Amino acid sequence: MNFLERLRPAVVNGLRELRANKIRSLLSMSGIILGVASLVAMVTVVQGMVGNFRQFVDAMGGIEKITVDKQPLPKEQEHLAELSEGITMRDVDRLRRTVPLVRNISPEARVGFEKLAFDGRETSTYVNGVTADYLPVAKRWVDPGQGRFISDLDVLNLNDVIVLGSAVVPDLFPANVDPVGQVVKVRGRRFTVIGILNNIEGSGMQIRSASSRGSGGSWRWRNSGVFIPVSTALTKFNGNDRLSGLGLRIADPDQLRDAVEQTERTLLAAHKGLRDFSITTNEQTLEDFRKTEVAFKLSLGGVAGISLFVGGIGIMNVMLASINERIREIGVRKAVGARGSDLFLQFLAEAAVVSVVGGFLGLLVSTGIVGVMNYILTQALPTGAVATLDWAIMAQGLAFSVVIGLIAGVYPALRAARLDPIEALRHE
Amino acid sequence: MTSLISIRGLRKTYRMGDENVHALAGVDLDFAAGEFVAILGPSGSGKSTLMHILGFMDTPSEGSIVFEGEEVARLGADRRAWYRSNRVGFVFQSFNLLPRLTVLENVALPLLYRERPEAEAAAAAARVALERVGMSHRLDHRPGQLSGGERQRVAIARAIVGSPAIIFADEPTGNLDVRNVDLVLDLLGSLIQEGITVVLVTHDLSVAERARRVITMRAGLVQEDRQR
Repeated sequence: MNFLERLRPAVVNGLRELRANKIRSLLSMSGIILGVASLVAMVTVVQGMVGNFRQFVDAMGGIEKITVDKQPLPKEQEHLAELSEGITMRDVDRLRRTVPLVRNISPEARVGFEKLAFDGRETSTYVNGVTADYLPVAKRWVDPGQGRFISDLDVLNLNDVIVLGSAVVPDLFPANVDPVGQVVKVRGRRFTVIGILNNIEGSGMQIRSASSRGSGGSWRWRNSGVFIPVSTALTKFNGNDRLSGLGLRIADPDQLRDAVEQTERTLLAAHKGLRDFSITTNEQTLEDFRKTEVAFKLSLGGVAGISLFVGGIGIMNVMLASINERIREIGVRKAVGARGSDLFLQFLAEAAVVSVVGGFLGLLVSTGIVGVMNYILTQALPTGAVATLDWAIMAQGLAFSVVIGLIAGVYPALRAARLDPIEALRHE
Repeated sequence: MTSLISIRGLRKTYRMGDENVHALAGVDLDFAAGEFVAILGPSGSGKSTLMHILGFMDTPSEGSIVFEGEEVARLGADRRAWYRSNRVGFVFQSFNLLPRLTVLENVALPLLYRERPEAEAAAAAARVALERVGMSHRLDHRPGQLSGGERQRVAIARAIVGSPAIIFADEPTGNLDVRNVDLVLDLLGSLIQEGITVVLVTHDLSVAERARRVITMRAGLVQEDRQR
């Protein structure tokens, strides 16, 4: 007899038993339901978080970015504070000469949170002094028709030019005014707007649109801020030559460690051994996140694994109880010609049916869990992490439950198959 | 009449603790096709053991059984299952219908365990069998909705659906009222006209008297074998 021909009545039988014992079946399925739900929800949410974080890191300049920040001297060097010159444009030249792994160096001089004014309209935002290298390091650009960015010449000539973040524009200019070429005032100085930076929106639904107003746009800060030549910022606002930091972009992410080491050595040597700077990379952030991800997966996977295990035990338990109740039925089936293998298949199919139905209910529950998690995550994370259920994960969850059901069904099914028909028929 | 079953020196020994119990202690019998036989005896006489062995539910410890010309005493479980679904029918005292299945499904059940089960052919055969026992009007009922006599008629339909050579009826009237006893016994008796051998297993003499041949068993042996 063909296997499929035997399977069909077995499955029909399984469904019939399921219908006949709804409550019991539901209880026996609860473990599988929870297991599948937590498994699918866990994988989905973690994947969503990973995806979001990748994007986040990318928006932060990616893995090829090294950030050098000024920092106070450590305790043991505090008495040498007078020797510290901080990070300066001289460091930029040194690094250019001695660290070939670094492709771009973007010096940054924060001016502060300043008021911008245009024709009676005002807005406040961060003003930063940068060079042309800011664009490749920050992975930003100026869209065609939106003017240009700060050039080397602007830096050389200490020009009073300004590039605006896209979020600043609607606050400062009426819709019918082209900002490029207009003059805005910062601390009383007149700056000519030469360009507008590209708008960061994040891709697809993963990161909410930065242009969304009010409390919503978590990426708004990336689009606010304005930029002036670093030389202008240092001489006309800050009054010293100290930079707030450097952004470095390396050519090859695989050489990140070497680049960091070379940068550190060069700076230490130039700073006479004073640790008045810190070096961070997104790799560390990424690494931290990977650890969190693993921890998440392990703990949630453990929960899912345990509930699936318990689910398996639940199914086995109910199958054994069901077989005990149906010993006579087994006897009758054998008396009319069923082989051991027929009954094995019948009860295994019953277990499989229970686990498949349980698995489907679990998937249903998981969509609910993912919805709730999404709600919580969008409230909690700056990136507004959104996880989407995908078919591959759901199929895996379902396959998992079927495997559990089959494993759990083997022993009860074997018991049914091995029952002696005479004993079974005598059973009261 | 040709011999359907021929048994020689049949023994069945059980181990009960330290003792050997001889349920069958050397039985020689022949059954012809289309015979109506009663096996009579008190409990423990070995009549049930004999029925189980002849019905391919059990195997003898010793002896030979020739069924339709083939030696079948030492068959494996799957082969015995084949005989149960193809050559043998059972009718039990407590009907043993499956409560969740309809009358039609219950009767079709033996056919579904055959080599090439075909649901529609099985249902058609089940309808014919139910017609034969006068239960065509209850196809979609569950056993629980039927009276005892009706249930036993359905059970008989299930026994004959696969065109068996022999039917074993184990105290088939034990749970029935007087009116239904006659009905069921008449029905069983009428099956011999179709060439089916009917074996009534009972401890009730009045039931056994309905058969043409009465085999009396005692302590694992045939005590008497008389034709009427």
